[in-house]
Amino acid sequence: MSEPSTATEAAKKASAPPPAAHDHGHDDHGHEAHDPIHAANPHLAHHFDTPQQQFDAGKLGIWLFLLTEVLFFAGLFCAYTVYRSMHPEVFVYAHYFLDTKLGALNTCVLLISSLTAAWAVRNAQLAEKKMLMINIVVTIACAFTFMCVKYVEYAHKYHDGLLPGKNFQPKEQIWELKSFRDRHPEAAEYAEKLAKLDEKKPEAPAAAGAKLEGKVEEKIERPTEEELEPLLAAGLVGPRSLDPSAHISRPRMAHVFFGIYFFMTGLHGFHVLIGIGIWVWMLLKAAKGHFGPNYFGPIDFTALYWHLVDLIWIYLFPLLYLIH
Amino acid sequence: MSDEKPEAEKPEVESADHDHDGHAHGDAHAARDPHAAHDSHAHGDAHAHGADHGLAHTMPLPLLFGVLGALLALTVATVAVTSFDLGAQGNLIVAMAIATVKAALVCVFFMHLLWDKKFNAVLFLTSVLFLILFLSMTTTDRGEYQHLVDEYRAMQLGQK
Repeated sequence: MSEPSTATEAAKKASAPPPAAHDHGHDDHGHEAHDPIHAANPHLAHHFDTPQQQFDAGKLGIWLFLLTEVLFFAGLFCAYTVYRSMHPEVFVYAHYFLDTKLGALNTCVLLISSLTAAWAVRNAQLAEKKMLMINIVVTIACAFTFMCVKYVEYAHKYHDGLLPGKNFQPKEQIWELKSFRDRHPEAAEYAEKLAKLDEKKPEAPAAAGAKLEGKVEEKIERPTEEELEPLLAAGLVGPRSLDPSAHISRPRMAHVFFGIYFFMTGLHGFHVLIGIGIWVWMLLKAAKGHFGPNYFGPIDFTALYWHLVDLIWIYLFPLLYLIH
Repeated sequence: MSDEKPEAEKPEVESADHDHDGHAHGDAHAARDPHAAHDSHAHGDAHAHGADHGLAHTMPLPLLFGVLGALLALTVATVAVTSFDLGAQGNLIVAMAIATVKAALVCVFFMHLLWDKKFNAVLFLTSVLFLILFLSMTTTDRGEYQHLVDEYRAMQLGQK
């Protein structure tokens, strides 16, 4: 409900008989019935003096919560940083399995939902009930779109055996992936040759990574930089590969990337789901016409939470999908 | 947060709508708000003043859409830049720089920190400061052990 727009209305409410205040549930604060500010602002809780005080207190509260959220995610970002600095090849290898287009689509969806959330705050402040509801619905729709895209991605990873830990059993080799072939066609061809060589001679004698290049030279022509560089970077050949005795194999720690991936995107997705729940609640409140110039805190605070979820994705997208 | 009282408020909503239309009004807020925020803390009288003009700054729509446009453009830029090789850490640095510009746009405009009480901005920046401390301390520590990791790897390879 919004503020009374004229002094007469405020006065009318202020002079309302005390029983109205008792209905309100403040029996032990009966004196509030004579307080024109509370009488005029039905959404002003009895422990606040003014709508401004209530709003500022709520705002401080939500910012404190967002602070803890940043620190909450900081743990995962720290794990990411340490792991990437230790095993850069794992991240190069694994990022070929992620679909940049879907990641970029989700980024755009979240950015648009951030706009509608910020717009909804404006609507609530100006008591534009209809536009407020439209903007909340669009925000919720964007959130569902985000989760649907995430579902498509997760389902794809599940089918391809790209799961954390023991369950990491990729069905496709990296050089069979379109994302790899498009960017490094020479390396993909060369990798196929190496893989065929391994198939023919599975009992090939163990060789240290240093010897590998020499061995390769015997069987097939010496690789060019373009052929070898992407494979080295992704830990497919050389000392960082899973099985240095083979000509080509995936990097040793590849499964950990998907642990990090699922934890980071999973926790973020969980926040999106919670956000949907809160937006639905706000939609119901908005439908009842609760919001106006003197009471829009809940919409503002929900939007702030929503922007933080967007903020985290802004960092997750390049860190997970755009590894060079 | 407060009690719900779904009574007939249609007329109020409509009158409020008339009070607050047009961007001129919103812009006027931007100039006035800092004073309103300070005053309302200092004196009880000023509360009424703050309430008259709304509790916080109202974002003008062109600004909101402009920020969205900038964010989408930066998203395209960060995807496009991956096709260029900028050295071992170059691409990561550029990607993080673009992400930080995007984050700043979201914080300053969408989260209206620019018009908010400065204390809220300080709070949020504190969390960012501790995030940076957390990451830099951990990476520095890890760097100290790099030679041990290298030695261990070399030993493992030698055994095979």
